[in-house]
Amino acid sequence: MNRKPKILIVDDDVDLVQVMKGTLESKLFEVIVAHNGKEGLQKAKGEKPDIVILDIMMPVMDGWAFAEQYNKDPLLAKTPVLALTSFSESLGQPFPFQVSEYLQKPLKPKDLIAKVEEHLKKLGM
Amino acid sequence: MFDNVRVPEIKDEAAPVHAKSVTAGEVSASQYTPEERALILRVGVYVRMRWLVILGIVAAALIASLVFDISFSILPVSIICGAMVLYNLIMFRWTNSLKAEPTGIVLKKAERAANVQVLTDLVIFTILLHYTGGIENPFIFFYLAHTIAAGIVLPQTRAYQLATIAVSMITLLVFLEYAGVVSHVNLEGFVRPDRYENLGRVLAVLVALATLIYGSTYVTTAVLGELRRRQRDMVALKDKLLEKRAKELEQISAEVVKLEDERRSFARFLGVVAHDLQSPLVATQSVMSYILEGYTGEITYGQKDLLERAVRRIDGLLTLITDLLDIPRIETGQVSREMREISFNEVIKKSLEGLDNVAQQKGVTLKLELPQSSPLVYGASRRLQQVMTNLVSNAINYTNEGTVSVKVIDNENDARVEISDTGIGIKPEDMPRMFNDFFRGSNVTSKGTGLGLSISKRIVEAHGGEIWAESPDPETHKGSRFTFTIPKKGAVASKEK
Repeated sequence: MNRKPKILIVDDDVDLVQVMKGTLESKLFEVIVAHNGKEGLQKAKGEKPDIVILDIMMPVMDGWAFAEQYNKDPLLAKTPVLALTSFSESLGQPFPFQVSEYLQKPLKPKDLIAKVEEHLKKLGM
Repeated sequence: MFDNVRVPEIKDEAAPVHAKSVTAGEVSASQYTPEERALILRVGVYVRMRWLVILGIVAAALIASLVFDISFSILPVSIICGAMVLYNLIMFRWTNSLKAEPTGIVLKKAERAANVQVLTDLVIFTILLHYTGGIENPFIFFYLAHTIAAGIVLPQTRAYQLATIAVSMITLLVFLEYAGVVSHVNLEGFVRPDRYENLGRVLAVLVALATLIYGSTYVTTAVLGELRRRQRDMVALKDKLLEKRAKELEQISAEVVKLEDERRSFARFLGVVAHDLQSPLVATQSVMSYILEGYTGEITYGQKDLLERAVRRIDGLLTLITDLLDIPRIETGQVSREMREISFNEVIKKSLEGLDNVAQQKGVTLKLELPQSSPLVYGASRRLQQVMTNLVSNAINYTNEGTVSVKVIDNENDARVEISDTGIGIKPEDMPRMFNDFFRGSNVTSKGTGLGLSISKRIVEAHGGEIWAESPDPETHKGSRFTFTIPKKGAVASKEK
């Protein structure tokens, strides 16, 4: 591993962010946090993360609005997105990202790490 | 003169538009307005009727001279008949040439053809009458045929004008004959010549005929006027009814829009409720899992046990919230909005991902049997997966050893799924309430909301399918068997509310 994998967490729930941040940092990943879609988009453009973990239901800019802007950036569009959602939120909605996966909430820390590592492996990291 | 011919007042506004691009000779009847079509048809009928009239005159002349031995001058009658044949041939050509005229122009030309014919007919008939005995010829009453026909097809004033022309012609004929300007032709062997010398009788016939002509014109125009008035009233009534219908329809569509708005805001409300109820639970559970997995340091066995109990309770509560909020969504038509054309085998395979692990951990064998070519159904993929997950995880839950087998059958009209287990089965007294909300089997001890089967039933029925349970499984005589059907694409319309 040449450098630390960089993970961006976009979620308005501070407690959940705290847990996910702690979980990922225990694996020595670099974790950046944004609390809404707008901030997330700015940080995604500025920090160029390897993976984005995104909550679908958020204030200011929700996951779908985020996706619309996100997909316009050719570099970002290729960055995997792990979309956090509860079952009832995601039903019947088409998947808005090129490389992505729905993660069903609630998510156990070990499952989060497993998913992130799976995607990092695909990226060759 | 009779340019104002009355015809049905239906206007086909689209028709004249085509006229520009059509050259003479190519015009077909379909390019005319209904008004024009009716007029052309009438002019054609005149010509056909006239052939019959000519035949009638020839027959009457033959019968009169051969059978009744009535003497009259054959030559003028023959000349008149010949002239009529010639005149009708010209009219026949004229009428046919009308069909090549473009719409708009054709109306004026056809009206002129109709007026010319009516007038010519009256003149010819008067001349014919002169050579066949004048006012003494009973066929003089044939003037009536013309005036009655005119009363039917022409407006009132035009009909009276025609009646006046007819009466004037007869009067002129009688006057000219009586005054000796034109010699009277006597029908020898039929009428005694002294009859004609009786002025009182001649005038009486004349007055009677004139009265009849005006009387018939009055009656026909009055009756037809009344008929037309009633027709107008009926059309007005129809328009009024249609207007009322349109208004009602407008109200209904407004109502539909309102209901759809309400449904949407209700769905939004449910979305917010779901999110706000679930978020704190999700956060709580994540925090506890974080501690459980040792990220905050070692925990004791007792702490671990208690935390695990708490996580399980929150799991249950999350499922309950999801299920509870799902019911109104399904009942307000959510499922049909998620429907697409899907491959049924794919849905079944996807729904079993993860469940084989669960089965394995319990020591239960999970078998899957799919048809070679997948049935195509019109369905909501994730909803059908939800049904499968419910039924299969139930089967695994209530089976302690043995097999859970899933079998997909491709029927003519539907795809059928059978989920059989060798588990504890269902008590007969529980059967009727199996699919009720919050129903829990009396022999069941494990966790669950009691909503899984009732939601599954709603989803299957929203697809127009059926779901039922049998215990024991009629094939293995063990456990239970759940079956549901989903209509194949195009087989049955959705029965959703």
